[in-house]
Amino acid sequence: MGTTEKLYAPAALRFLAALVPLFCGLLGVVIANIPISFVGGAVPPPLLALVPVYFWCLVRPDLMTPAAAFAVGVLEDVMSGAPPGVWTLSFVLAYALVARQRESFAGLAGLGAVLGFAAAALASIAAAYLIVSVYYWQLPPLGPVVAQLAMTVAAYIPATYVVAWVHHRAVGPLRSDF
Amino acid sequence: MANGTWKIARRGNAQLPLVIVLALAVVLVLVGKAQSGLFDAARARITDWMAPALSQVRAPLDGAERWVASIGDIFRVYEENLRLKEENARLLQWRNTSVVLEGRLRHYEKLLNAVPDPELNAVLARVIGRASRPFLRTMILDAGAVHGARAGQAVMDENGMIGRLYLTGQHTSWVILLTDINSRVPVSIAPGQVQAMLVGDNSASPRLDMLAPNVTVKAGDQVVSSGDGGLVPPGLPIGTVVADGEGFRVALLADAARSESVQVLNFARPRETVPAPVLPAEAAGLKPVPPPPPPSVATGAPKPLPGARRVPPAPASAAAPADPVEAD
Repeated sequence: MGTTEKLYAPAALRFLAALVPLFCGLLGVVIANIPISFVGGAVPPPLLALVPVYFWCLVRPDLMTPAAAFAVGVLEDVMSGAPPGVWTLSFVLAYALVARQRESFAGLAGLGAVLGFAAAALASIAAAYLIVSVYYWQLPPLGPVVAQLAMTVAAYIPATYVVAWVHHRAVGPLRSDF
Repeated sequence: MANGTWKIARRGNAQLPLVIVLALAVVLVLVGKAQSGLFDAARARITDWMAPALSQVRAPLDGAERWVASIGDIFRVYEENLRLKEENARLLQWRNTSVVLEGRLRHYEKLLNAVPDPELNAVLARVIGRASRPFLRTMILDAGAVHGARAGQAVMDENGMIGRLYLTGQHTSWVILLTDINSRVPVSIAPGQVQAMLVGDNSASPRLDMLAPNVTVKAGDQVVSSGDGGLVPPGLPIGTVVADGEGFRVALLADAARSESVQVLNFARPRETVPAPVLPAEAAGLKPVPPPPPPSVATGAPKPLPGARRVPPAPASAAAPADPVEAD
Protein backbone atom coordinates (compact mmCIF):
# COMPACT_ATOMS: atom_id res chain seq x y z
CA MET A 1 0.00 0.00 0.00
CA GLY A 2 2.80 2.32 0.92
CA THR A 3 4.57 1.57 -2.35
CA THR A 4 1.41 2.29 -4.32
CA GLU A 5 0.98 5.67 -2.61
CA LYS A 6 4.55 6.58 -3.43
CA LEU A 7 3.98 5.66 -7.07
CA TYR A 8 0.68 7.43 -7.60
CA ALA A 9 0.71 10.38 -5.21
CA PRO A 10 2.99 12.62 -7.29
CA ALA A 11 0.94 12.08 -10.44
CA ALA A 12 -2.30 12.83 -8.59
CA LEU A 13 -0.76 15.93 -7.03
CA ARG A 14 0.51 17.06 -10.41
CA PHE A 15 -2.97 16.67 -11.81
CA LEU A 16 -4.47 18.69 -8.97
CA ALA A 17 -1.77 21.33 -9.28
CA ALA A 18 -2.53 21.61 -12.99
CA LEU A 19 -6.12 22.46 -12.12
CA VAL A 20 -5.16 25.23 -9.68
CA PRO A 21 -4.96 28.05 -12.30
CA LEU A 22 -8.36 27.17 -13.73
CA PHE A 23 -9.81 26.86 -10.23
CA CYS A 24 -8.39 30.27 -9.26
CA GLY A 25 -9.93 31.82 -12.38
CA LEU A 26 -13.33 30.34 -11.56
CA LEU A 27 -13.00 31.44 -7.94
CA GLY A 28 -12.23 34.98 -9.11
CA VAL A 29 -15.44 34.97 -11.13
CA VAL A 30 -17.48 33.81 -8.14
CA ILE A 31 -15.97 36.36 -5.74
CA ALA A 32 -16.36 39.28 -8.15
CA ASN A 33 -19.96 38.39 -8.94
CA ILE A 34 -21.35 37.97 -5.44
CA PRO A 35 -24.27 40.39 -5.71
CA ILE A 36 -23.31 42.42 -2.67
CA SER A 37 -21.72 45.84 -2.79
CA PHE A 38 -20.06 47.57 0.12
CA VAL A 39 -20.27 50.93 -1.62
CA GLY A 40 -23.96 50.84 -2.53
CA GLY A 41 -23.32 49.85 -6.14
CA ALA A 42 -21.50 53.12 -6.82
CA VAL A 43 -18.74 51.34 -8.73
CA PRO A 44 -18.85 48.08 -10.66
CA PRO A 45 -16.93 45.06 -9.38
CA PRO A 46 -13.47 44.35 -10.81
CA LEU A 47 -12.82 41.57 -13.28
CA LEU A 48 -10.92 39.51 -10.72
CA ALA A 49 -10.80 36.45 -12.97
CA LEU A 50 -8.61 38.31 -15.42
CA VAL A 51 -5.73 38.32 -12.91
CA PRO A 52 -5.17 34.53 -12.80
CA VAL A 53 -5.78 34.28 -16.55
CA TYR A 54 -3.13 36.93 -17.21
CA PHE A 55 -0.68 35.63 -14.60
CA TRP A 56 -0.68 31.98 -15.60
CA CYS A 57 -0.89 32.78 -19.30
CA LEU A 58 2.53 34.35 -18.78
CA VAL A 59 3.97 31.97 -16.21
CA ARG A 60 2.41 28.60 -17.05
CA PRO A 61 0.61 28.71 -20.40
CA ASP A 62 0.55 24.93 -20.35
CA LEU A 63 -1.84 25.16 -17.38
CA MET A 64 -3.79 28.30 -18.29
CA THR A 65 -4.74 27.18 -21.79
CA PRO A 66 -7.11 28.94 -24.21
CA ALA A 67 -9.75 26.39 -23.22
CA ALA A 68 -9.30 27.34 -19.57
CA ALA A 69 -9.71 31.04 -20.44
CA PHE A 70 -12.82 30.06 -22.38
CA ALA A 71 -14.25 28.22 -19.35
CA VAL A 72 -13.55 31.17 -17.06
CA GLY A 73 -15.26 33.50 -19.56
CA VAL A 74 -18.32 31.25 -19.76
CA LEU A 75 -18.71 31.31 -15.98
CA GLU A 76 -18.31 35.11 -16.04
CA ASP A 77 -21.11 35.28 -18.60
CA VAL A 78 -23.36 33.05 -16.51
CA MET A 79 -22.80 34.82 -13.22
CA SER A 80 -22.61 38.42 -14.40
CA GLY A 81 -25.86 38.30 -16.36
CA ALA A 82 -24.20 39.68 -19.47
CA PRO A 83 -25.39 38.55 -22.90
CA PRO A 84 -24.07 35.03 -23.60
CA GLY A 85 -20.58 34.92 -24.98
CA VAL A 86 -19.57 38.53 -24.32
CA TRP A 87 -17.03 37.86 -21.60
CA THR A 88 -16.07 34.52 -23.09
CA LEU A 89 -14.95 36.14 -26.32
CA SER A 90 -13.35 39.13 -24.59
CA PHE A 91 -11.36 36.88 -22.21
CA VAL A 92 -10.14 34.73 -25.08
CA LEU A 93 -9.19 37.84 -27.06
CA ALA A 94 -7.24 39.21 -24.09
CA TYR A 95 -5.59 35.80 -23.72
CA ALA A 96 -4.65 35.86 -27.40
CA LEU A 97 -3.10 39.32 -27.01
CA VAL A 98 -1.06 38.28 -23.98
CA ALA A 99 -0.01 34.99 -25.56
CA ARG A 100 1.14 36.81 -28.70
CA GLN A 101 3.28 39.29 -26.76
CA ARG A 102 4.17 36.88 -24.00
CA GLU A 103 7.86 37.59 -23.89
CA SER A 104 7.25 41.34 -23.73
CA PHE A 105 4.63 41.11 -20.98
CA ALA A 106 6.69 38.67 -18.92
CA GLY A 107 9.67 41.00 -19.02
CA LEU A 108 7.79 43.85 -17.35
CA ALA A 109 8.37 44.68 -13.71
CA GLY A 110 7.05 47.15 -11.13
CA LEU A 111 4.81 49.83 -12.64
CA GLY A 112 5.43 48.33 -16.06
CA ALA A 113 3.85 45.07 -14.91
CA VAL A 114 0.76 46.96 -13.75
CA LEU A 115 0.59 48.79 -17.08
CA GLY A 116 0.97 45.49 -18.90
CA PHE A 117 -1.98 44.07 -17.05
CA ALA A 118 -3.88 47.32 -17.65
CA ALA A 119 -3.32 46.85 -21.38
CA ALA A 120 -4.73 43.31 -21.22
CA ALA A 121 -7.70 44.49 -19.14
CA LEU A 122 -8.31 47.36 -21.55
CA ALA A 123 -8.31 44.92 -24.46
CA SER A 124 -10.78 42.66 -22.68
CA ILE A 125 -13.18 45.40 -21.54
CA ALA A 126 -13.00 47.25 -24.85
CA ALA A 127 -13.82 44.02 -26.68
CA ALA A 128 -16.79 43.44 -24.36
CA TYR A 129 -17.97 47.02 -24.93
CA LEU A 130 -17.82 46.62 -28.70
CA ILE A 131 -19.61 43.26 -28.62
CA VAL A 132 -22.39 44.67 -26.41
CA SER A 133 -22.68 47.73 -28.66
CA VAL A 134 -23.21 45.50 -31.67
CA TYR A 135 -25.45 43.19 -29.64
CA TYR A 136 -27.87 45.97 -28.64
CA TRP A 137 -27.04 48.24 -31.58
CA GLN A 138 -26.49 51.22 -29.29
CA LEU A 139 -23.52 52.56 -27.35
CA PRO A 140 -23.74 51.94 -23.60
CA PRO A 141 -22.42 54.75 -21.37
CA LEU A 142 -18.65 54.77 -21.10
CA GLY A 143 -18.54 55.78 -17.43
CA PRO A 144 -19.28 52.36 -15.87
CA VAL A 145 -16.90 50.69 -18.33
CA VAL A 146 -14.05 53.03 -17.41
CA ALA A 147 -14.89 52.55 -13.72
CA GLN A 148 -14.69 48.77 -14.13
CA LEU A 149 -11.33 49.09 -15.88
CA ALA A 150 -10.03 51.26 -13.04
CA MET A 151 -11.34 48.84 -10.41
CA THR A 152 -9.78 45.89 -12.23
CA VAL A 153 -6.37 47.55 -12.46
CA ALA A 154 -6.60 48.65 -8.82
CA ALA A 155 -7.38 45.08 -7.79
CA TYR A 156 -4.43 43.71 -9.75
CA ILE A 157 -1.74 44.46 -7.19
CA PRO A 158 -3.34 42.72 -4.17
CA ALA A 159 -4.79 39.95 -6.34
CA THR A 160 -1.51 39.19 -8.02
CA TYR A 161 0.17 38.78 -4.61
CA VAL A 162 -2.42 36.13 -3.74
CA VAL A 163 -2.05 34.45 -7.10
CA ALA A 164 1.75 34.48 -6.88
CA TRP A 165 1.56 32.98 -3.39
CA VAL A 166 -0.75 30.21 -4.67
CA HIS A 167 1.62 29.65 -7.57
CA HIS A 168 4.65 29.23 -5.37
CA ARG A 169 2.84 27.08 -2.82
CA ALA A 170 0.75 24.85 -5.06
CA VAL A 171 1.86 25.10 -8.65
CA GLY A 172 5.45 26.25 -8.64
CA PRO A 173 7.10 23.44 -6.65
CA LEU A 174 5.57 20.82 -8.92
CA ARG A 175 6.49 22.32 -12.22
CA SER A 176 8.91 20.39 -14.35
CA ASP A 177 8.99 22.24 -17.64
CA PHE A 178 11.37 25.06 -16.72
CA MET B 1 9.87 37.03 -9.85
CA ALA B 2 13.24 37.11 -8.15
CA ASN B 3 14.76 39.56 -10.61
CA GLY B 4 11.56 41.51 -11.12
CA THR B 5 10.30 39.48 -14.05
CA TRP B 6 8.26 36.31 -14.22
CA LYS B 7 10.03 33.03 -14.80
CA ILE B 8 8.06 31.56 -17.66
CA ALA B 9 7.49 28.01 -18.76
CA ARG B 10 7.44 26.44 -22.18
CA ARG B 11 4.09 26.19 -23.85
CA GLY B 12 2.59 22.71 -23.74
CA ASN B 13 1.82 20.89 -26.96
CA ALA B 14 -1.40 19.08 -26.06
CA GLN B 15 -3.87 21.95 -25.90
CA LEU B 16 -6.78 23.17 -27.95
CA PRO B 17 -5.45 25.68 -30.51
CA LEU B 18 -6.27 29.30 -29.79
CA VAL B 19 -7.93 29.77 -33.17
CA ILE B 20 -10.43 27.01 -32.48
CA VAL B 21 -11.26 28.45 -29.05
CA LEU B 22 -11.69 31.91 -30.60
CA ALA B 23 -14.05 30.46 -33.18
CA LEU B 24 -16.01 28.70 -30.44
CA ALA B 25 -16.32 31.99 -28.53
CA VAL B 26 -17.62 33.77 -31.63
CA VAL B 27 -20.13 30.95 -32.16
CA LEU B 28 -21.24 31.32 -28.53
CA VAL B 29 -21.88 35.05 -29.08
CA LEU B 30 -23.93 34.33 -32.20
CA VAL B 31 -25.91 31.56 -30.49
CA GLY B 32 -26.44 33.86 -27.51
CA LYS B 33 -27.78 36.55 -29.81
CA ALA B 34 -30.27 34.09 -31.26
CA GLN B 35 -31.20 32.61 -27.88
CA SER B 36 -30.67 35.28 -25.23
CA GLY B 37 -31.95 32.95 -22.50
CA LEU B 38 -29.16 30.46 -23.11
CA PHE B 39 -27.74 30.73 -19.58
CA ASP B 40 -30.95 31.65 -17.76
CA ALA B 41 -31.55 28.21 -16.24
CA ALA B 42 -27.98 28.06 -14.94
CA ARG B 43 -28.23 31.61 -13.56
CA ALA B 44 -31.49 30.83 -11.76
CA ARG B 45 -30.05 27.62 -10.31
CA ILE B 46 -26.89 29.31 -9.07
CA THR B 47 -28.89 32.14 -7.49
CA ASP B 48 -31.27 29.68 -5.83
CA TRP B 49 -28.25 27.88 -4.44
CA MET B 50 -26.68 31.10 -3.16
CA ALA B 51 -29.90 32.55 -1.72
CA PRO B 52 -29.58 31.32 1.89
CA ALA B 53 -26.03 32.61 2.17
CA LEU B 54 -26.97 35.93 0.57
CA SER B 55 -29.86 36.37 3.02
CA GLN B 56 -27.50 35.78 5.94
CA VAL B 57 -24.88 38.17 4.62
CA ARG B 58 -27.35 40.92 3.76
CA ALA B 59 -28.76 41.27 7.26
CA PRO B 60 -25.61 42.65 8.93
CA LEU B 61 -24.73 44.59 5.80
CA ASP B 62 -28.12 46.32 5.80
CA GLY B 63 -27.64 47.14 9.48
CA ALA B 64 -24.22 48.61 8.77
CA GLU B 65 -25.56 50.65 5.85
CA ARG B 66 -28.38 52.01 8.02
CA TRP B 67 -25.89 52.86 10.75
CA VAL B 68 -23.60 54.69 8.33
CA ALA B 69 -26.55 56.56 6.85
CA SER B 70 -27.83 57.52 10.29
CA ILE B 71 -24.54 59.30 11.09
CA GLY B 72 -25.19 61.80 8.33
CA ASP B 73 -28.85 62.14 9.33
CA ILE B 74 -27.96 63.33 12.82
CA PHE B 75 -26.47 66.55 11.46
CA ARG B 76 -29.53 67.53 9.48
CA VAL B 77 -32.30 66.26 11.71
CA TYR B 78 -33.68 69.75 12.40
CA GLU B 79 -33.99 70.74 8.73
CA GLU B 80 -35.38 67.31 7.93
CA ASN B 81 -38.01 67.66 10.65
CA LEU B 82 -39.18 71.03 9.33
CA ARG B 83 -39.33 69.68 5.79
CA LEU B 84 -41.33 66.63 6.84
CA LYS B 85 -43.84 68.74 8.81
CA GLU B 86 -44.44 70.94 5.80
CA GLU B 87 -44.71 67.94 3.50
CA ASN B 88 -47.09 66.20 5.90
CA ALA B 89 -49.44 69.20 5.98
CA ARG B 90 -49.44 69.36 2.19
CA LEU B 91 -50.04 65.62 1.86
CA LEU B 92 -52.97 65.78 4.29
CA GLN B 93 -54.61 68.37 2.06
CA TRP B 94 -54.02 66.14 -0.95
CA ARG B 95 -55.40 63.15 0.94
CA ASN B 96 -58.69 64.94 1.60
CA THR B 97 -58.89 65.94 -2.04
CA SER B 98 -58.17 62.41 -3.21
CA VAL B 99 -60.83 60.92 -0.93
CA VAL B 100 -63.44 63.28 -2.39
CA LEU B 101 -62.28 62.59 -5.95
CA GLU B 102 -62.20 58.83 -5.39
CA GLY B 103 -65.79 58.85 -4.17
CA ARG B 104 -66.84 60.91 -7.17
CA LEU B 105 -64.97 58.54 -9.49
CA ARG B 106 -66.72 55.49 -8.01
CA HIS B 107 -70.05 57.24 -8.47
CA TYR B 108 -69.32 58.00 -12.12
CA GLU B 109 -68.10 54.46 -12.74
CA LYS B 110 -71.32 53.12 -11.29
CA LEU B 111 -73.41 55.45 -13.43
CA LEU B 112 -71.50 54.51 -16.57
CA ASN B 113 -71.39 50.81 -15.71
CA ALA B 114 -67.63 50.95 -16.27
CA VAL B 115 -65.50 47.84 -16.30
CA PRO B 116 -63.65 47.72 -12.97
CA ASP B 117 -59.87 47.59 -12.88
CA PRO B 118 -58.45 44.11 -12.50
CA GLU B 119 -57.45 43.07 -9.02
CA LEU B 120 -53.77 43.13 -8.14
CA ASN B 121 -52.10 40.50 -6.01
CA ALA B 122 -48.71 41.39 -4.65
CA VAL B 123 -45.88 39.30 -3.26
CA LEU B 124 -43.69 41.05 -0.73
CA ALA B 125 -40.06 40.19 -1.41
CA ARG B 126 -36.79 41.09 0.22
CA VAL B 127 -33.81 42.31 -1.77
CA ILE B 128 -30.96 39.87 -1.15
CA GLY B 129 -28.53 41.12 -3.77
CA ARG B 130 -27.70 43.98 -6.09
CA ALA B 131 -25.43 44.14 -9.07
CA SER B 132 -24.38 47.29 -10.86
CA ARG B 133 -22.24 46.18 -13.76
CA PRO B 134 -21.42 48.02 -16.96
CA PHE B 135 -23.88 45.99 -19.00
CA LEU B 136 -26.45 44.96 -16.38
CA ARG B 137 -28.22 46.64 -13.50
CA THR B 138 -30.19 44.17 -11.49
CA MET B 139 -31.36 43.21 -8.04
CA ILE B 140 -32.07 39.74 -6.71
CA LEU B 141 -35.22 39.01 -4.69
CA ASP B 142 -35.98 36.15 -2.34
CA ALA B 143 -39.29 35.37 -4.09
CA GLY B 144 -39.42 32.84 -6.89
CA ALA B 145 -41.73 30.61 -8.80
CA VAL B 146 -42.96 28.84 -5.66
CA HIS B 147 -44.21 32.22 -4.38
CA GLY B 148 -46.04 33.01 -7.60
CA ALA B 149 -43.40 35.25 -9.15
CA ARG B 150 -43.28 35.12 -12.94
CA ALA B 151 -41.06 36.76 -15.53
CA GLY B 152 -42.49 40.08 -16.71
CA GLN B 153 -44.20 41.06 -13.47
CA ALA B 154 -43.75 44.63 -12.25
CA VAL B 155 -41.67 45.34 -9.15
CA MET B 156 -42.46 48.35 -6.94
CA ASP B 157 -41.07 49.91 -3.83
CA GLU B 158 -43.05 52.30 -1.63
CA ASN B 159 -42.42 55.20 -4.03
CA GLY B 160 -42.86 53.78 -7.48
CA MET B 161 -41.93 51.20 -10.07
CA ILE B 162 -38.39 49.80 -9.95
CA GLY B 163 -38.42 47.40 -12.85
CA ARG B 164 -39.69 44.03 -13.99
CA LEU B 165 -38.79 40.43 -13.27
CA TYR B 166 -36.88 38.88 -16.13
CA LEU B 167 -35.65 35.65 -14.61
CA THR B 168 -37.27 33.54 -11.93
CA GLY B 169 -35.82 30.54 -10.18
CA GLN B 170 -37.64 28.43 -7.64
CA HIS B 171 -36.88 30.71 -4.69
CA THR B 172 -35.22 33.78 -6.22
CA SER B 173 -35.83 36.27 -9.01
CA TRP B 174 -33.74 38.72 -10.99
CA VAL B 175 -35.16 42.20 -11.57
CA ILE B 176 -34.27 44.18 -14.65
CA LEU B 177 -34.20 47.78 -13.42
CA LEU B 178 -35.82 50.60 -15.38
CA THR B 179 -32.34 52.06 -15.82
CA ASP B 180 -30.92 48.90 -17.42
CA ILE B 181 -30.00 48.99 -21.08
CA ASN B 182 -32.46 46.15 -21.77
CA SER B 183 -35.47 47.85 -20.15
CA ARG B 184 -38.39 49.00 -22.32
CA VAL B 185 -41.62 49.99 -20.59
CA PRO B 186 -44.60 51.70 -22.27
CA VAL B 187 -45.56 54.77 -20.28
CA SER B 188 -48.17 57.48 -20.24
CA ILE B 189 -47.31 61.12 -19.48
CA ALA B 190 -49.87 63.21 -17.65
CA PRO B 191 -51.48 65.61 -18.30
CA GLY B 192 -52.42 64.82 -21.84
CA GLN B 193 -51.97 61.06 -21.66
CA VAL B 194 -49.05 61.24 -24.05
CA GLN B 195 -47.83 57.74 -24.90
CA ALA B 196 -44.12 57.01 -24.99
CA MET B 197 -41.54 54.33 -24.34
CA LEU B 198 -39.27 54.50 -21.30
CA VAL B 199 -35.89 53.23 -22.46
CA GLY B 200 -33.06 52.45 -20.06
CA ASP B 201 -29.49 53.18 -21.09
CA ASN B 202 -27.59 52.34 -17.88
CA SER B 203 -27.71 55.98 -16.78
CA ALA B 204 -29.52 57.08 -13.62
CA SER B 205 -32.44 58.59 -15.57
CA PRO B 206 -33.94 56.55 -18.42
CA ARG B 207 -34.95 58.47 -21.51
CA LEU B 208 -38.34 58.92 -23.14
CA ASP B 209 -38.44 57.50 -26.62
CA MET B 210 -40.99 57.15 -29.42
CA LEU B 211 -42.75 60.41 -28.56
CA ALA B 212 -45.14 61.54 -31.24
CA PRO B 213 -43.81 64.64 -33.04
CA ASN B 214 -46.77 66.93 -32.35
CA VAL B 215 -47.22 66.33 -28.61
CA THR B 216 -46.27 68.71 -25.82
CA VAL B 217 -44.20 67.40 -22.95
CA LYS B 218 -42.58 69.61 -20.36
CA ALA B 219 -40.40 69.15 -17.32
CA GLY B 220 -42.36 68.20 -14.24
CA ASP B 221 -44.99 66.11 -16.02
CA GLN B 222 -45.89 62.87 -14.27
CA VAL B 223 -44.96 59.54 -15.86
CA VAL B 224 -46.94 56.38 -15.11
CA SER B 225 -47.10 52.99 -16.74
CA SER B 226 -49.57 52.84 -19.60
CA GLY B 227 -50.36 49.15 -19.36
CA ASP B 228 -49.90 48.58 -23.09
CA GLY B 229 -49.09 44.98 -23.76
CA GLY B 230 -50.92 43.75 -20.68
CA LEU B 231 -47.85 42.74 -18.67
CA VAL B 232 -47.63 45.78 -16.41
CA PRO B 233 -50.75 47.29 -14.84
CA PRO B 234 -51.60 50.83 -15.95
CA GLY B 235 -51.13 53.77 -13.65
CA LEU B 236 -48.07 52.65 -11.69
CA PRO B 237 -46.13 55.78 -10.67
CA ILE B 238 -42.70 55.91 -12.28
CA GLY B 239 -41.31 59.45 -12.10
CA THR B 240 -41.30 62.98 -13.41
CA VAL B 241 -40.08 64.34 -16.72
CA VAL B 242 -36.81 66.23 -16.75
CA ALA B 243 -35.52 68.10 -19.75
CA ASP B 244 -32.37 66.81 -21.33
CA GLY B 245 -30.31 68.69 -23.85
CA GLU B 246 -31.47 66.43 -26.67
CA GLY B 247 -34.81 65.20 -25.40
CA PHE B 248 -36.55 64.17 -22.23
CA ARG B 249 -35.58 61.87 -19.43
CA VAL B 250 -37.40 60.64 -16.33
CA ALA B 251 -36.28 61.20 -12.76
CA LEU B 252 -37.40 57.98 -11.10
CA LEU B 253 -39.42 58.02 -7.88
CA ALA B 254 -38.10 54.67 -6.72
CA ASP B 255 -34.61 54.32 -5.32
CA ALA B 256 -33.37 50.92 -6.39
CA ALA B 257 -30.08 51.36 -4.56
CA ARG B 258 -31.75 51.67 -1.15
CA SER B 259 -34.91 49.55 -1.39
CA GLU B 260 -34.87 46.66 1.03
CA SER B 261 -38.36 45.27 0.50
CA VAL B 262 -40.33 45.43 -2.72
CA GLN B 263 -43.67 44.27 -4.06
CA VAL B 264 -43.96 41.96 -7.03
CA LEU B 265 -47.30 42.70 -8.67
CA ASN B 266 -49.15 39.71 -10.02
CA PHE B 267 -51.15 41.40 -12.70
CA ALA B 268 -53.34 39.46 -15.05
CA ARG B 269 -56.29 40.79 -16.91
CA PRO B 270 -59.41 38.73 -16.17
CA ARG B 271 -59.95 36.10 -18.79
CA GLU B 272 -62.74 37.09 -21.14
CA THR B 273 -65.40 34.39 -21.30
CA VAL B 274 -67.69 33.91 -24.21
CA PRO B 275 -71.28 34.49 -23.10
CA ALA B 276 -73.40 31.35 -23.00
CA PRO B 277 -75.38 31.00 -26.22
CA VAL B 278 -79.10 31.59 -25.89
CA LEU B 279 -81.04 29.02 -27.85
CA PRO B 280 -83.99 30.26 -29.91
CA ALA B 281 -86.33 28.08 -27.83
CA GLU B 282 -85.16 29.75 -24.61
CA ALA B 283 -85.42 33.17 -26.21
CA ALA B 284 -89.04 32.32 -27.09
CA GLY B 285 -89.75 31.49 -23.45
CA LEU B 286 -89.97 27.73 -23.90
CA LYS B 287 -88.56 25.30 -21.39
CA PRO B 288 -85.11 24.12 -22.52
CA VAL B 289 -84.57 20.41 -23.15
CA PRO B 290 -82.29 18.90 -20.49
CA PRO B 291 -79.06 17.43 -21.83
CA PRO B 292 -78.91 13.63 -22.14
CA PRO B 293 -77.37 11.84 -19.15
CA PRO B 294 -73.77 10.72 -19.57
CA PRO B 295 -73.20 7.05 -20.31
CA SER B 296 -72.68 4.99 -17.16
CA VAL B 297 -70.26 2.53 -18.79
CA ALA B 298 -67.05 3.86 -20.22
CA THR B 299 -66.74 1.29 -23.00
CA GLY B 300 -69.30 -0.08 -25.39
CA ALA B 301 -72.60 1.37 -26.56
CA PRO B 302 -74.84 2.84 -23.86
CA LYS B 303 -77.71 0.57 -22.86
CA PRO B 304 -81.21 2.04 -23.24
CA LEU B 305 -82.94 2.79 -20.00
CA PRO B 306 -85.91 0.57 -19.11
CA GLY B 307 -89.10 1.99 -20.59
CA ALA B 308 -87.28 4.51 -22.71
CA ARG B 309 -88.19 4.93 -26.31
CA ARG B 310 -85.66 4.62 -29.02
CA VAL B 311 -85.38 7.95 -30.82
CA PRO B 312 -84.68 7.63 -34.51
CA PRO B 313 -81.63 9.57 -35.77
CA ALA B 314 -82.35 13.05 -36.98
CA PRO B 315 -82.38 13.67 -40.70
CA ALA B 316 -79.24 15.12 -42.19
CA SER B 317 -80.85 18.47 -42.85
CA ALA B 318 -81.77 18.90 -39.18
CA ALA B 319 -78.33 17.98 -37.88
CA ALA B 320 -75.85 20.54 -36.73
CA PRO B 321 -74.18 22.37 -39.55
CA ALA B 322 -71.00 20.75 -40.66
CA ASP B 323 -67.66 22.51 -40.83
CA PRO B 324 -67.59 24.93 -43.73
CA VAL B 325 -65.40 22.78 -45.92
CA GLU B 326 -66.31 22.85 -49.53
CA ALA B 327 -66.14 19.64 -51.50
CA ASP B 328 -64.34 19.69 -54.79
